[in-house]
Amino acid sequence: MVFSYNWLQSFFRKKLPKPEKLAELLTMKAFEVEEIKKINRDWVLDIDVLPNRAGDCFSHLGVAREISAILDLKLQTSFPDLKAKEDKNLKAKDFISIDVKSQKDCPRYTARVISDVKVGSSPEWIKTRLKVCGLRPINNIVDIANYVMLETGQPLHAFDGKKLEGGKIIVRFAKNREKIITLDEEKYDLDENVLVIADAKKPVAVAGIKGGKIPEIDKKTKIVVLESANFRPRTIRKSSKKLGLKTDASLRFEHGIDPNLTKVAINRAADLIQRISGGKILQDLIDFYPKKVFSKRIKLDLDYVERLLGVKISRKEILGILKRLKFKITETPALLKTKGIIMVEAPTARLDISIPEDLIEEIGRIYGYQKIPSLFPTAVLIPPKRNLDIFWEDTAKSVLKGAGFTEVYNYSFIGEKEAKLFNYKKSEIITVENPVSLEQKYLRPSLIPNLLKNIKENFKYSDEIKIFELGEIFALQKSKITQKYMLSGAISGDSFYQTKGAVDLLLNKLGISNIWYNSYRPTPEQSEISIWQPKKCAEIKVNRREIGFLGEISSKILDELKLNAFKIVVFDIDFEKLKALTSEEQNFKPISPYPAAIRDLAILVPREILVREVLNKIEVAGGDLIRDVDLFDIYEGENLPEGKKNLAFHIVYQSETRTLSSKEIEKTHQKIINILEKNPDWEVRK
Amino acid sequence: MMAKIDLKLLRNQAQKAIDLTKDLKELNDIFKRYLGKRGQLTQVLRSLEKLPETKRAKVGKEANELKSFLRIKCDQKAREIKEKIRKETAKTEWIDITRPGERPALGHLHPLSQVKNKTEEIFQLMGFSVVEGPEIENEWYNFDALNIPKDHPARDIWDTLWLKPEVRSPNSQRLLLRTHTSPVQIRYMEKNNPPLRIIVPGRVFRHEATDASHEINFYQIEGLMVDKKISVANFKAIIQHFFQQFFSTPGGEKSIGIRLRPGYFPFVEPGFEVDMICLACGGRGCSVCSQTGWLEMMGAGMVHPNVFKAAGLNPKNWQGFAFGMGLDRLAMMKHKINDIRLFYSGDLRFLNQF
Repeated sequence: MVFSYNWLQSFFRKKLPKPEKLAELLTMKAFEVEEIKKINRDWVLDIDVLPNRAGDCFSHLGVAREISAILDLKLQTSFPDLKAKEDKNLKAKDFISIDVKSQKDCPRYTARVISDVKVGSSPEWIKTRLKVCGLRPINNIVDIANYVMLETGQPLHAFDGKKLEGGKIIVRFAKNREKIITLDEEKYDLDENVLVIADAKKPVAVAGIKGGKIPEIDKKTKIVVLESANFRPRTIRKSSKKLGLKTDASLRFEHGIDPNLTKVAINRAADLIQRISGGKILQDLIDFYPKKVFSKRIKLDLDYVERLLGVKISRKEILGILKRLKFKITETPALLKTKGIIMVEAPTARLDISIPEDLIEEIGRIYGYQKIPSLFPTAVLIPPKRNLDIFWEDTAKSVLKGAGFTEVYNYSFIGEKEAKLFNYKKSEIITVENPVSLEQKYLRPSLIPNLLKNIKENFKYSDEIKIFELGEIFALQKSKITQKYMLSGAISGDSFYQTKGAVDLLLNKLGISNIWYNSYRPTPEQSEISIWQPKKCAEIKVNRREIGFLGEISSKILDELKLNAFKIVVFDIDFEKLKALTSEEQNFKPISPYPAAIRDLAILVPREILVREVLNKIEVAGGDLIRDVDLFDIYEGENLPEGKKNLAFHIVYQSETRTLSSKEIEKTHQKIINILEKNPDWEVRK
Repeated sequence: MMAKIDLKLLRNQAQKAIDLTKDLKELNDIFKRYLGKRGQLTQVLRSLEKLPETKRAKVGKEANELKSFLRIKCDQKAREIKEKIRKETAKTEWIDITRPGERPALGHLHPLSQVKNKTEEIFQLMGFSVVEGPEIENEWYNFDALNIPKDHPARDIWDTLWLKPEVRSPNSQRLLLRTHTSPVQIRYMEKNNPPLRIIVPGRVFRHEATDASHEINFYQIEGLMVDKKISVANFKAIIQHFFQQFFSTPGGEKSIGIRLRPGYFPFVEPGFEVDMICLACGGRGCSVCSQTGWLEMMGAGMVHPNVFKAAGLNPKNWQGFAFGMGLDRLAMMKHKINDIRLFYSGDLRFLNQF
């Protein structure tokens, strides 16, 4: 909100510090000043008034009060007593009556009537101040209402008294299908949620937001009815949201204003009108104010001030600060006094003050936060709890990093397009009610769609891509929400075994050894919507429990993504399941002191034979003497019989108890060969 | 058969051979010829026992002397040859050290992961535990419990992404994507009694148009310390220490200035904005800090009594501070990144720099 430096100065006899200096003081002790701009002979300060201080500081007077407290300068206001100026021959209440239908939504309504005004242009000083604050001067009556709002923070409205039918002002909710045309000639449809000011027949203003066109002040206006009311913030907020209409007035009412302010403001405005446009102020203030608001009294323990701020501020200084902020220190019962407790009465304008901590904030900021020392706490030494979730997350990430993967962070959302492409059912994904864009309409039910997008984007610059993400995914299961962490990665190219190797490495490093890969055999319907390429994907199992998937992305999906020339292999692991299986324990396996011998074995088998079958036979036949079997080559193609492949293994023989003789090794090796060759289609190559 | 061997002759032959040879293999052969298992001199030594007593001592002495003489000779020669070879190789063999090295193919951790790790480490060393919470939250934890009432303009500070109203939490609360990590304050205090010290890193969401400094999802780190007498002064010390550790390089610990300004967050009272001295200009004012010399780093304050109450604690017994800061912003400052959107782009040209 913008403020005029000269206007603020007008509240003080003494010269204020230069605008920059003043801005710095306000920033450090009250509100951040975001910008200072020079306009003619004035400066505009753009002050970021904190939302809880809108009630008293969306006004020049309010900010001047802050300055007065910060600099300890006396504030000058010259608001007149209006009684002496009233015209005793005419009574306001004979002219207009007020009827508030909902006291809850309009706790106070004050009105004044001024007759025989001359509507015209405002004097320069008013026009200048309005313009500096970004308001357009209209005529002296409207300008004064706006001026007093900027000055005091109380929005005011002026009606042409002659245009109010039935001499009535009724505060009520609109009826369905009522309409209003506002001052700026916009038409609004009203309903029962919108509070209005009405005359005997129709709404003449949207309460607390904007006036209507019909009773507008114009050149011919002679009788002005001034409104200075207080509305319930929630009500105004609702109307404003409903109509999509925000104004200087609604902004102030939404945040809440002290009901005691209406009278001060209306008297100030009436006085200005009379001085500037002439006329008579009719006798008496019409005031609907059934439940008067009194100031709050708060007990403040001075020890607590010290304990919370961490600095000792003298009693004298504390009292001084509170008084400068217009708080009253009232008589304290003797019993409390001895305990260092004082009673503080907060001005009703300070809607933000209700508990001792609020007062401590006031003391702290005016005293100066920069004067509070930095002191490490003295506390009981409690060792921090180790967070295993985070430990395993970090471990998994660093293993994948070591394996050459780059970590990506993607949006937690997917769009309509992806939802369709990946066949996510509406009943199983979570929809955002107010998405920022259609690409972010659903919460991601899997990390895969965005990983594929990453790969596609990166293909522009590189063709070897290895990425992973560890992030939360969201799903609906029987309309219950599930959110869990997934660890998923993707490698570009024909990289099934590379990916599988990475998964093995990852699981081993997390202390998991009993890993099994099961071919995934979906039903025909499942495979229709599966993202995996048939026969090129597997379930990842640990201790017979499925923890994730591994496989090539189906050519159908790659086609749709316009990646048909490529292959992408993905792993998708449920990190919650994975975490439950991890172990930090790892037992040392003694290094055998006896030498190892390596024999190679090459075997020709039909193409469809699984490596696992061959390995199983070798391991069973070899028994204890085999330490390791390592498949080092697979070949099919030229020079081999049709439909066959050649598998080549290193077999490592070693005993933990003795040196194996070559005889013994040959015997075992031969045994393996014999067992393998029992199968007529298998041929060990010599 | 005992050939009479002239040790003198042997000595001359051997010495000549050693002197003439130019390579190590030949030298080794010579050594073997005389001193090997079946070497000529070895045989002499072996045959000693067959000599008469009188001769044995004399010949033995001579033969042994010759043995050590030849050994020394061979060693010397070997050193000479090696030295020569070394000199020659040094002359001819070389490496183009400007050729690029062959890098092992390591991957990369996301810069936000790295910043998160570093932040966690610094706070853990000060006794803070790391705690997490869910990304989908309900209205109570995200707002009400944090002293942010319904239909209050204070809620406008957090532009919220709501879930379809059909989806609700078990206690029929409305659900949303958490707008800050602060709900975890409540969740943690419900289950753990003070004294406590936690930090909460995590992803948060805002209904916001994205630009170079705004994202629809980003990361925050929340802090909470509660005990009997935790004060603003304590907060200043802890947070100053954090910035110092975070922004200084090992060995070069610089003192980093911070300042507190009044701020408003409904869940703290008093509330602060925490500024750190601008690292780009050292506080003189530059384009990075819009000429102010300061950078806004976090919101913070002393835990509001209503927050203690919402978490089931008696505010009379406890006091403490809470803070929240953007991890993205920390990372941007640390690495001089000018666009927050890069973090979520998946662009390897960016990510592979870290």
